[in-house]
Amino acid sequence: MDIAAVEAKVIEVVVKVLKISADKVVPKAHFVKDLGADSFASIELVAAFEVAFDIEMEEDAALSVKNVGDAVKFIKKACDEQGK
Amino acid sequence: MQVVVFEDAKFDNLYPLTYMRPTFMLKCGHTMLYEKIVRRFKGTKVTYIVRAMIAAFMKEKMGSDVINNANQIKSEDTLFVNGALLLTADIKLELNGGEEIAVAANGDVIYARANKATVAKAYDADITKMLSNLKTALKKAVSEAYLVEWPWNLVQKNPFAIEDDFKVIGKGGVIEGNLHPMASVLGDKKNLYIAKGADVQPFVCIDVTAGPVIIDEDVTVFPFTRIEGPNAVGKKTQLFGTNLRTGSSIGPVCRVGGEVEDAIIHGHSNKYHDGFLGHAYLCEWVNLGAMTTNSDLKNDYGPVSLIVKGELMDTGDGKVGCFIGDHTKTSIGTLLNTGTMVGMMSNVVGNGGVAPKYIPSFSWMMNDRFFKAQKSMETAKYAMGRRKCAMGVEEEKYILALKDMLKEDVKYWVRKTTVL
Repeated sequence: MDIAAVEAKVIEVVVKVLKISADKVVPKAHFVKDLGADSFASIELVAAFEVAFDIEMEEDAALSVKNVGDAVKFIKKACDEQGK
Repeated sequence: MQVVVFEDAKFDNLYPLTYMRPTFMLKCGHTMLYEKIVRRFKGTKVTYIVRAMIAAFMKEKMGSDVINNANQIKSEDTLFVNGALLLTADIKLELNGGEEIAVAANGDVIYARANKATVAKAYDADITKMLSNLKTALKKAVSEAYLVEWPWNLVQKNPFAIEDDFKVIGKGGVIEGNLHPMASVLGDKKNLYIAKGADVQPFVCIDVTAGPVIIDEDVTVFPFTRIEGPNAVGKKTQLFGTNLRTGSSIGPVCRVGGEVEDAIIHGHSNKYHDGFLGHAYLCEWVNLGAMTTNSDLKNDYGPVSLIVKGELMDTGDGKVGCFIGDHTKTSIGTLLNTGTMVGMMSNVVGNGGVAPKYIPSFSWMMNDRFFKAQKSMETAKYAMGRRKCAMGVEEEKYILALKDMLKEDVKYWVRKTTVL
């Protein structure tokens, strides 16, 4: 999966889980400060990314990702490593 | 002559209770299953056979010389005893008496007595193969002994096991600790044992009319607690205005309040607050948040089913509560359905409704959805540290191996409940 496809899907998942409009989901958007993701929502996001991309993510590392751009890179790396 | 307590291949019938302990370390009555065996054969060398996966952890906990020690096992005439055996006083089991093997109707070996030569010939590191070899080599004997096969069996047998432990301990009527003059005992005090250091405070009612009560060393029973025998309260446990109804075994080192009936609670677990716990089994380091309540009776009074090894199983029993693995926590207001299985190191967050009947190990359950557990090891270590206990090196490795073993189960439930 190329980086653009990963980014599009990340935005789609974030919009659905956090119930926000897509225009807010920009690379520099901070999950907590800008998008309002509390600790529960962060856990929901990790689960949703795993299901959407059919990947496994190490929980602590995934939860340490702070913004959308880093999430796209993190998930792209996981997809590449897991052959998705 | 030596005794070898073995865990047979059915340990997984007893998950999640046996994730963190061999079958013989399950609690039934005031003592664990193996303690009843050790007590019967006091003065005799006892070693243990456990599944390979848990061996290093058990060696760390009990000593390397007593776990899966093949040389020791082959070195003497041996009485092999199934660790699932509920060895009560009425069960005939002799250390000496010639070679024989007692097999239950379902084929499970209850005990086998064999001389050194037979043991050496039958020995196999695979317990199932060794038992098969012993079955071939030894003459059959009849035994009425009871083997625990399913988690709810422990709860069913608990009142009887408490009464048996009380008789075997033989301290009925002994008051070594403090029984405040304004505490009341209903019934014959011969049915009560209060060990040294225990403190039963004013306005406590201990009802021994229907069965005995054991209050072990350094227990504190705070005012307005009612204890109805048979009941066994383990060392250093604290009861806070508890309505402790019949058939419960608690502790050591537990803090218990609210209403408890026919429940087994392993050491270091807490149910401090109000809420009902009935026909239930809690492993070690469990914490139930305030108002956590489980159902143990269906509204149609029918038999209770629960999930065992991934399949819904009819217990045939109308009174079955919950079974909760080690280190699991529930939030305030958690409601558990009749016959709920909760794995180990999970976090169950109540949302006002009744939680699912199966909650996998190493998971978080929130809003009827499952997630992979976060920081469960750190939480467990912190909780142990609060009681001045430390997680062993092998214990941690074993937990991580269990987490890996069970990851597909968690993944299945996360994906099943994550809707995009």
